[in-house]
This record gives sequence, C-alpha cells and structure tokens, in this order.
Amino acid sequence: MSTHDHMRRTGLGGLAIALLALGSGGVAAQDQEPIRVGVTLTQSPPGSVIQGTEVLRGLEIARDLFNEQGGVLDRPFELIVEDTQGIPERGRAAVEKLITSDKVVALTGEHQSSVCLAEIGLAARHNVPFINTNCWSDDIRKEGHPQVFSPNMYNSRVATAMAEVIQGLGVDSVFALAENTDWGIGQAEALDELLEQTGADIDYQYELLDREARDFTPVIQGVRGENPSLVALIMLPPAAYVALNQLNEQGVLPSEDTWLFEGGGLFSYPDFWENVREAAQYGIYFDLYHTDMALSDLGAQVREEYMQRHDGTPSRLVFQAADSLLLIKEAIANAGSTDPDAMIEWLQQAEVPGTRGTITFSDEPGPLFQQWVDTPYVTYQVTELDQKLEETTLISAPDLGVQLDQLRQPKN
Amino acid sequence: MLTLEAILLGLIMGVFYGLMAFGLTLIFGILKVVYFAHGESFMIGAFTYSLLALWLGVPLWLAIPSAIVVGGVVGVIVERLLIRPLYEKFGDWQAMRDEYAIIVTFGLSLFLVNLANQVFGPYPFRGPDLTDVARFEFGPLIVGGHRLAAAVLGGAVLIGAYLFIQHSFGGKQIRAVAQNRFGASIAGIDTRMVSMLVFALAGGLAALSGALLAPLFHASPDVGVLPALKSFVIVVLGGMGSPIGSLVGGLILGVLESLGALYISYTYRDTYAFAILILVLLLRPQGLFGERAREV
Repeated sequence: MSTHDHMRRTGLGGLAIALLALGSGGVAAQDQEPIRVGVTLTQSPPGSVIQGTEVLRGLEIARDLFNEQGGVLDRPFELIVEDTQGIPERGRAAVEKLITSDKVVALTGEHQSSVCLAEIGLAARHNVPFINTNCWSDDIRKEGHPQVFSPNMYNSRVATAMAEVIQGLGVDSVFALAENTDWGIGQAEALDELLEQTGADIDYQYELLDREARDFTPVIQGVRGENPSLVALIMLPPAAYVALNQLNEQGVLPSEDTWLFEGGGLFSYPDFWENVREAAQYGIYFDLYHTDMALSDLGAQVREEYMQRHDGTPSRLVFQAADSLLLIKEAIANAGSTDPDAMIEWLQQAEVPGTRGTITFSDEPGPLFQQWVDTPYVTYQVTELDQKLEETTLISAPDLGVQLDQLRQPKN
Repeated sequence: MLTLEAILLGLIMGVFYGLMAFGLTLIFGILKVVYFAHGESFMIGAFTYSLLALWLGVPLWLAIPSAIVVGGVVGVIVERLLIRPLYEKFGDWQAMRDEYAIIVTFGLSLFLVNLANQVFGPYPFRGPDLTDVARFEFGPLIVGGHRLAAAVLGGAVLIGAYLFIQHSFGGKQIRAVAQNRFGASIAGIDTRMVSMLVFALAGGLAALSGALLAPLFHASPDVGVLPALKSFVIVVLGGMGSPIGSLVGGLILGVLESLGALYISYTYRDTYAFAILILVLLLRPQGLFGERAREV
C-alpha cells in the first residue's frame, strides 16, 4: 500500500468514525428534545389578561405534572408562549412564528374567539393540530377545519343554559349587553334564536358595547328606561366590571324587579371582588366549574397544585387549559409520534378522561364539529359581598337539573 | 327627562375632559408642540390614587392630592429631560423640532404604558368612591354618588386653574411665554421655569382626572388612551392654546357624546369626537376661542 493509499484509508476511517459519533450523538439529543407546544394567549391589553393568566397557569401546572411522569414518548413538554394582546392580527403573526420558526407540534391556549378565528385558518393550512382552549364562538366550529378540536364551552350551549333559566323564571323582557367581539355577538344572537324557538312571549333586545370603552352610562340609561325583567351580561373584564358597576350606579342592579344573568364566567376570575362590589349581589352566574362539581384525579391534582402556587381556588380556565395539554399528550402517546395526521386521526375518535369529565368530539358538521358537546356547566347565585365560590347557591349543575326555587332577590 | 339626564351626565364627563384638555392646551400654547404622552399622566393619577388607597390605606383626602403631586412631578421630569432640548440645546434642530416632539412623546407614551403593565400588572384596579352615597336622585334624574362628587371637585379645581392662569403672576408669565417666548425672556421671565410650571400643571390636572375617574373606569395601563385622544379633539375644538376653549370644548364634547349615544347610536359614541374634529378643521380651524394665524 502506498503512503497515499494509507492516508486515504485512514482519513476515510476517521471520517466514518466521526460520522457515527455525530449520528449517535444526534439520536441521543433527539431523545431528549422537548415536545414544543405553541401557546397563544393574552398577556397585555386590550385583550383579557386575566383570562390569559389563568390559562397559562393551567398549562404550566399540566406541563409540570406531565413532565414529572416522564412527559410523552420520553420527551418533556416545552411551552412556547406568544402574547397576542387579544388582537386577531397579532394572533395570526404569533401562529405563523410558532409554526414556521419554532416548529411546534400543536397549538393551544387561545381563549378569545376573534383571535381564534384568525389563527385556525393558518393552523389548518399548515396541518397543525389546534386545541381550542376557550374560544366559545360557534363560527369556529362552522369553519370545519379537521385540525381544530374544541374541548371547551360554546355559545349555543351557554345560550341554552341562559334560555333555561329565563324560561323558568317566567320573565317577559330581556336586555342583553354584549361586547362587540365574535364571542359577544355570537352569544347574543344565539340567545335571541333560542328564545324565539321556545315560543315564549319574551321581548328581547341587545346592545353591543366596545370592550375598550369605559363609560356605558348612555346605554344603561336606556336599559333603565326599558326596565327589563332580566339583564344578560355577555362581556369580559375589565369592561364587564365597569358595566356592572355602572348598572349599580344607575340603580338598575341589584333590584327586586330585575335579574342579572352573567354569561361569561366572570365570577371565577381572581380579581372579581376587588373590582365589583354591591353590583354583583343577587346575580346569576354561568360557569364551567364549581367546588361541588366532581373532579377526576387529574382535576384534583390540578386544583391542589394551583392552590399551592397561587392565592385562591382555580377558575374554570385552569381546568380547560389542563385538558388542552392533556389532549395533546394523549394524541401523541396514542399516535406514537408527533405526526399531525396521526394525532388528528386519533383525536377524532378519542375518549379522554379530562379534569371534569370524559372528552369526546362530535363529527357532526356545523357548529358542533369536533366539539365536546356535553361540556359540563353550572349556574349559581351570588348573594353576599365577598362570597367565595363554595358559598354560592348552586342553581343548575350536571345531575342536578335546574333549581330556581333557590333563587333570592333583594328587597328594595 | 332622559334628555335632561343625558345633558347632566354629559356636563359631568365634560369636566373630566376639561381637566385633561386644559393642560394639553397650555403645553401647546407655550411650546407649539403636541404632547402624546398626556394620557399617561391620566393613567399615573388613576394608579396612584387607587393603589395608595387600596394597598396602603391612605385616606382619600390625602390620596387625591398625592395623585396630583405625582402627576405634576412626572410632568416636571419629562419637561426637564425630554422637552427642554426642543428649545435649548439643539438650536440647529429647529427645523426638526416638531418631528422630535412627536417621536419622543409618542415613544414616552409607549414606554409608560408598558412600564405600568410590568410594574402593576395588566389587571384593573377599582379606586374607592369619594362618597358612600350610591346615587343622588333629583326627581326622575339619577346621578351616581361618586360621579357627582368627583365632578364637583374636578370642576372646582378646573375653575381654580383657570383663575390662576388669568389672574395670578405665574399665570400671566405663562400667557406671556405663550404669546412670544423670546419677547417674554427679554422681559425677564424665566421661560424654563414657566415651561416646568406648565408641565407640572398639565400633569397634575390630568392625574386628577385619572384619580377621579378611577372608581368608574378602573385603573389599568391603557386607561389613558381614549381620554388623551379626546383631549386632542377638545384642544382643537376650543382653540389651540386657549384655556377657556378647553373648558368650554370639554363640556360641549361631553354633552354631544352623551346625547349622540342616547339618540343616535351608542356604538359610535367614541367616533362623535372625531367627527367634531373633522368639522372644526373644515369650518373653523382656529377653534371656538382660538385666533387665526397671521402671516406677514
């Protein structure tokens, strides 16, 4: 063998060894490479920051619990969070970045319908599973994207709950104050449709309010003039707090002549009592969680972990967020990979024990497409200042039906 | 009765608008530049009042003046650090001073909003009411207790500020500088002190407006954005640099918004101000009490 041949063989051998080493090192790194989950939510105004904060808390708790158990496919979860500010264009930009730059395997966390609607098209185009944490607008399901799964509440179900109570109370007039977003408009219209379907003679009207405005007095003057039997509030904080206080300021609520039905889960937010005082009393509140509600083992773990990390009891958003990450975990585990088609196919047939019930998805086209149809909900009445959730009076719940005889009104 | 109530509520809101616009028009009067961070003085006042009262238990009669003082101090700091270069150091930049003012004050606005977001968090804080009376009823007219009390206090301060500008020695100095800065300095007026005084006054009045509205609007990082936009409209409506114009303009805008929201559409409530802006600029660009610019 010539010197040249010897050097060539030595060089090739060394190169082969180097390539093998790199390859095995690369495989080892990939084993530990985290599973990146893209999270879009609101962390600064004008969107609902309190919602975004609760969702993030729920996702972080779920991530930590799942990672303690080894993650999925021996890989830990990593959350990559983008602040959308509750603005649809920001949501689109965030999703674009998460998919193309961060290469996330799934998206979740979104809690504002207008932003969801801007994001899901992009997720569908890139074939990335999108677990809708808290966007209630029925339009999201109507789009029919197979990548989008909704294990959360939806407008027509909330409207059904409202209509149940409204019919049961025998009211003859309803005035709804709704925020001018896809969620607010959708729920106000869904309630209108449902009340018509009941055939009851109920005078229903609604007014759309700008979520960034702070003075609703002219509208509330109109409400006072109409003197409705029930005011339905379909808004998020901080505008919702402002509206409630101004309803109180004008003498509309609380009142023995007028009920309040709050349809956005407002009471569960940690800053509720700091911002709303007497106005909140005797109101009927819609929610997805009550302390009397049965929780699964995971739900109980999430609740305990939340109470250790933060003040107070968790809101429904925490459980919804945990369920969102759970679905992603189960999809990956059962699909055996992060292949989106495999994940989507599995999710479509899934039955997943979540924090508050077994999650399944409908295949019916339209507003129930890939929606958890039987999402549990509760309604309860708040009767005292600074009342805690466990002290409120449960009016309706799964397995309880509707118990309107428990309701109380103030004596004027 | 609903109309009368709408007018009353509009006048009340007009007082708060006037507090905002008064300072802004003074700033424009002496420097001829637009101050884009004015809304953040409102925000600072709202937070100062709410958090002093809620977190530290400061009595309201102390929390309100504290908000004014904090707003005034911030105004002085802004003038000293950011605005003074406009008319002092960068004499060669005179051709670009308008652009400088816009960029600097706009950037300051963004900075303050995001700073508040980081320091206080994005959650709203409802400041305590000035009175325990929930509402006052005058026959069929209903006005919120705090709203009326705040308007009375704000109105008194606004009138006091106007009288200060019109009759006090400091006020005369401000008017002199507004008329002719160079001439005023020749006459022995310390124009730098006057500028600081104007920024202190503007910051303090805007902060007072924020403090008084904190129980109604809730303090949050972006709470000053809409009031600031409306104060720009009022400055144009009343006449740039005209204190009486800002007072009257504020009341007019408050009433027009209230009646428009009640009888036309609430949805467009915040656009009425901009419709007024367009009309004023088209029909009477000098505003109600301003003077037409003269060129020689």
